[in-house]
Amino acid sequence: MSSNQPPGAAPTQPYGEIYDLGYKHYDGKRLGRTHAIQALIVYSIKRGLGIKKKWTAKLIPFLLYTVAFIPAFIVSGIQAFIPADDFTYTYNDLNDFIGLTLFIFAAALGPEMLSDDRRENVLGLYFSRALTRLDYLLAKIAAMGVLLGTIAFGPPLILFIANVLLADNPITYFFDHFGDLGRIAAYGILVSAYLGAIALVIAAYTNRKGVAGAIFIGGLLIVAAIANALFQALDTGIRDYIILFDPVDLIDAISAWVWDEPTNMDIAVLQGGWYSLAVLGTIAICSLVMYRRYLADE
Amino acid sequence: MMAADQPIVTTSALTKAYGPVIALDSVDVSIPRSSIGLLGANGAGKSTLIKLLLGLISPTSGTATMLGMDIRADVLRIRERVGYLPESDCLPMDVTAADFVGHMAEMSGLPGRDARQRANDVLYQVGVDEERYRLIRGFSTGMKQRVKLAQAIVHDPELVFLDEPTNGMDPQGRDDMLNLINRIHRQLGITVIVSSHLLEDIERVCEYVVMVDRGKLVANGRIDDLMEGGGDVVVQIDGDAQALVDRLAARNLTTRLNGLEVIVAAPEGGATDAVYDAIRDAVVEMDVPLRLLRGRERSLEDVYIQTVGGVIAAEQVVAAIVE
Repeated sequence: MSSNQPPGAAPTQPYGEIYDLGYKHYDGKRLGRTHAIQALIVYSIKRGLGIKKKWTAKLIPFLLYTVAFIPAFIVSGIQAFIPADDFTYTYNDLNDFIGLTLFIFAAALGPEMLSDDRRENVLGLYFSRALTRLDYLLAKIAAMGVLLGTIAFGPPLILFIANVLLADNPITYFFDHFGDLGRIAAYGILVSAYLGAIALVIAAYTNRKGVAGAIFIGGLLIVAAIANALFQALDTGIRDYIILFDPVDLIDAISAWVWDEPTNMDIAVLQGGWYSLAVLGTIAICSLVMYRRYLADE
Repeated sequence: MMAADQPIVTTSALTKAYGPVIALDSVDVSIPRSSIGLLGANGAGKSTLIKLLLGLISPTSGTATMLGMDIRADVLRIRERVGYLPESDCLPMDVTAADFVGHMAEMSGLPGRDARQRANDVLYQVGVDEERYRLIRGFSTGMKQRVKLAQAIVHDPELVFLDEPTNGMDPQGRDDMLNLINRIHRQLGITVIVSSHLLEDIERVCEYVVMVDRGKLVANGRIDDLMEGGGDVVVQIDGDAQALVDRLAARNLTTRLNGLEVIVAAPEGGATDAVYDAIRDAVVEMDVPLRLLRGRERSLEDVYIQTVGGVIAAEQVVAAIVE
């Protein structure tokens, strides 16, 4: 280091500063309740994705996103090289992957949203702040919705964009198939809301994440098996409606209805209102249960 | 901001019942801005009172105000200005202390950047410095209590509730925590309400005390005032202590032997000159050297035992009359 100053002379520039690390009162902005809700949504999304957690927590979201998005990318790539007449892959086909992924993702996310906070008694800290129980619940539902939505909407949107870009006349294709966006939204909203509501209710009563996930998957599969058995046993027109109580095949049936294609099962596709009713009914029951669990005491 | 001389908490016939069990029974109290001890045995109703004031549970009947606001109508506005350290474990294990305290600051409305800055500053203040980037899972009980304290004050509250803050801590950790609480009140100017069943903790950090027993308010006031009135007199002689006990008893003084010491119970209002004169005369009559003669300070423990004991005795009398 060179210096023109003679040795021992007082430095003309300060070479350090002393910081007062004592406690200071906060006099900055206070953004209130809305900001708190937004912060909780972001925090919950990060936790759902395993961000700032061990690598094992990132594994399931990473795998599920891979399973959900890879088919869309592969199909889009194939369509770029093979003529459309020789290769047909519909949104309904893609929904087979998406439905399965949403099913597993909901099983993992529901407990991630609610179980830890209950088990670790963090709720008392949240509710001692300017945040109502309803705010907390809405933030968790929103975070769940965002995460499930990325899988419900992302892959079909990629396929839609690929179809537009690969069309002979992309602008004409976009406007001719604009309704497909509505169908993508309808399927995504109905299935995400249906699975998300059930997963959150189970998580609200189970402190252990693994147990909550197992109850979700096991419970829905058992209900599906019972519904299937009833379907096989009955031989009247009523059997077509049993699917409304079969959580696994209902997802497939909603896709078939939305895209106007046959179901994977040997049953007629019902009027869309029935599926909407089944989803809304489930959400209503789940909301009532959640109300009793979180809000009744407030 | 409310005036400094206004009570920070007032309750009127505040009651909380869980079915037939009355956790808090018609409590009327007015608490000034100070360092306040909420004293009572386990299950006395301390945590219930705190949860009622924070709006975490609803009162069965009665009213209360905190920071000049109604606890039912203005619960969210109150919570913006209050911090809370719960008694139980309440920290997520797989988050770093810095992330968690920062998140809690955001939950109190601080913008993200300010929240992170405040979290670091406050964690430093409570003695969690480099460790703040470690997962809470690896923290000792003392470190967890510090993190709990940090999240309670990160948003710079006017009032902070500390529910059994030294719970499960070793002596050194407990000492550190009590020093921290002292700093929070005396240096930072934050009003603290410390709930504890440990009399020493309350005596060490609080200026004002509220005593509850089985859901009822049994006493409240400045600790100095409650401890006023002098205590017993301790006498030690170089001779037969039992003989001194007998002589003092002959002078209508209540005495007991405690090892080599003779404890002379103070009459109502504290030891008077007459007591000291009687002791002096008895020792002179015995013609033995007087080794020790001092007034024993009235401790918070004495106050608590007398107050709670008095209530229990009064209840027993009433029960006997009713029977």
